[in-house]
Amino acid sequence: MSGLEILSIGPLATIQDRGRTGWLRYGVTGGGAMDIYALAEGQALLGNGPDDAALEFAGFGGRFRAKGALTVALSGADMQTTLNGAPLDWRRSQNLQDGDVLTIGAARDGVYGYLHVTGGFQTETLLGARSTHLRAGFGHVPKAGDILHAGRKTDAMAPVGLTRPDYFASGTLRAMWGPQSHYFSAATRAAFAAARFKVTNMRDRMGMQVTPDCGPVLAEGARTIASDAISLGDIQITGDGTPAILLADRGSSGGYPRIGVVISADIGTLAQLPEGAEFDIDFVTREQAVAALAQFRAGLKGLKSQLKPLLRDPRDMADLLAYNLIGGVLRGDEHDEN
Amino acid sequence: MTDPLTHPPVFGPPVLRVAGDMGLLVEFGAVYHPSINAAVLAFDAAFAAHLPRGVIETVPSFRSLLVRFDPVELAFERLEAQLNGLLGARDWYRAPPPEARKNWVLPAVYGGDFGPDLAEVADLMGLREDQVIDSHTASGMTVAMLGFAPGLAYLGQLPEIWDIPRRTTINPKVPAGAVLVAVRQTVLPATAIPTGWRQIAQTPFIGFQPKSAVPFLLSPGDQVRFRPVTAAEFSATGPDPAQWIQT
Repeated sequence: MSGLEILSIGPLATIQDRGRTGWLRYGVTGGGAMDIYALAEGQALLGNGPDDAALEFAGFGGRFRAKGALTVALSGADMQTTLNGAPLDWRRSQNLQDGDVLTIGAARDGVYGYLHVTGGFQTETLLGARSTHLRAGFGHVPKAGDILHAGRKTDAMAPVGLTRPDYFASGTLRAMWGPQSHYFSAATRAAFAAARFKVTNMRDRMGMQVTPDCGPVLAEGARTIASDAISLGDIQITGDGTPAILLADRGSSGGYPRIGVVISADIGTLAQLPEGAEFDIDFVTREQAVAALAQFRAGLKGLKSQLKPLLRDPRDMADLLAYNLIGGVLRGDEHDEN
Repeated sequence: MTDPLTHPPVFGPPVLRVAGDMGLLVEFGAVYHPSINAAVLAFDAAFAAHLPRGVIETVPSFRSLLVRFDPVELAFERLEAQLNGLLGARDWYRAPPPEARKNWVLPAVYGGDFGPDLAEVADLMGLREDQVIDSHTASGMTVAMLGFAPGLAYLGQLPEIWDIPRRTTINPKVPAGAVLVAVRQTVLPATAIPTGWRQIAQTPFIGFQPKSAVPFLLSPGDQVRFRPVTAAEFSATGPDPAQWIQT
């Protein structure tokens, strides 16, 4: 079985798929890729299934050597990447030969980058998913020396690419008021909605602490509320008035008041904001949030139709002279590619 | 503590709240009270009996039920109407407990290495250690909710004498099966966790079996009692959890 050998890997890299569903009542949050759109891009580029797993990098990639021939794709935050020393574009499929070395560096325009293989990585499943949950000890923790097997062997594919989505470095996120917004005064809510937020360095797969320019956000009468379920994207306010937005690997329940919740469609956009990035929060109605979710899903579904054939890398043409270069059918749009 | 049953606004009537674009929260109260939690569990069981298409899962807690659903498949208004209809069907605070609940009698070794905080807990309660053990094993408890970590159960509610504070420092690691107490509750983790709760005992019962067809043994609503055993009995215990279910 073909696969990738990990020569080195960045800290907090994990295996991620769509995560676990249905275990919240037992204290297990969904986990799954921090950027679901990027996960879907990889599936589209390789013709993978929606449940296939990818490697998720948190700000920094690693070095990988192909074991056998396989096809890979990269998505999410662009990371400086080379294949055997030559620059490699992000968001395209790439055939690898046995021994090829992929070197993936630091993120340039986001946080989470993804490395996909055909059929997904065949690591252990637990509670119906492969997603690594570091705190819960679920799933495989990728480390140097591992050989991660690809789920499906494919012959070399004609390379395809996707254009870069425009959600990176978005200056606005959408949120809704939540079940505990009434613990915050109208004045506090108005100040919160008008604030500009800055992403701090306190962030991981559990959540992101953000600093609003309106100062501490203080709840009233919420000191005694008992714990209940926390939703993905909940904006939790701790005792000192600091907001933290809770993400894939959050705890399942908590008793701190939550002033609002980031809408489902914008979770990936939020997760990709690097430290120091600033954003506004637009409070929307539930109708607007549901419409945004439907649009987001349509975008995922439409990825397949967005695939663009790329010029074959001459490197792939081991038998270059055998190609009938002169007699080949010209489509007339070759110069539009790349 | 004021009794929330006699002190609205923290207690009833239940309120339906929008919880993000994929959730509706049925809130039965703001605090933990056995009647509030019983309402949550009874309502959850009744709703589960006629789960509409598009509901992903329900998440009961001390005081509320989160209904997670797909709003593209199931319109907010439709789910709202169904939940409101069910809410109006009866007084959920006085509903009988769901029938599916199990009765567990869990062996536990109190004190020593199995319960390093027992002496301190006895001090805080103004009791001798044997009185603490008697009180704890005499108390019938309900799994109010699971959360924080996979399979970690919050059991309530102990008599008022158990209203002792959590530790002021975090214990970096207690084992799965540690029996932890504070604020009139028992917490039973199913994995090793850091905790601010006080460990008075340990049970060989581990509520999370990742490789099992039924990975989580305790469900909200289950009844739990602890039975004191010796360290020798603890070590001699077989792994089959079914032995601790009382029929």
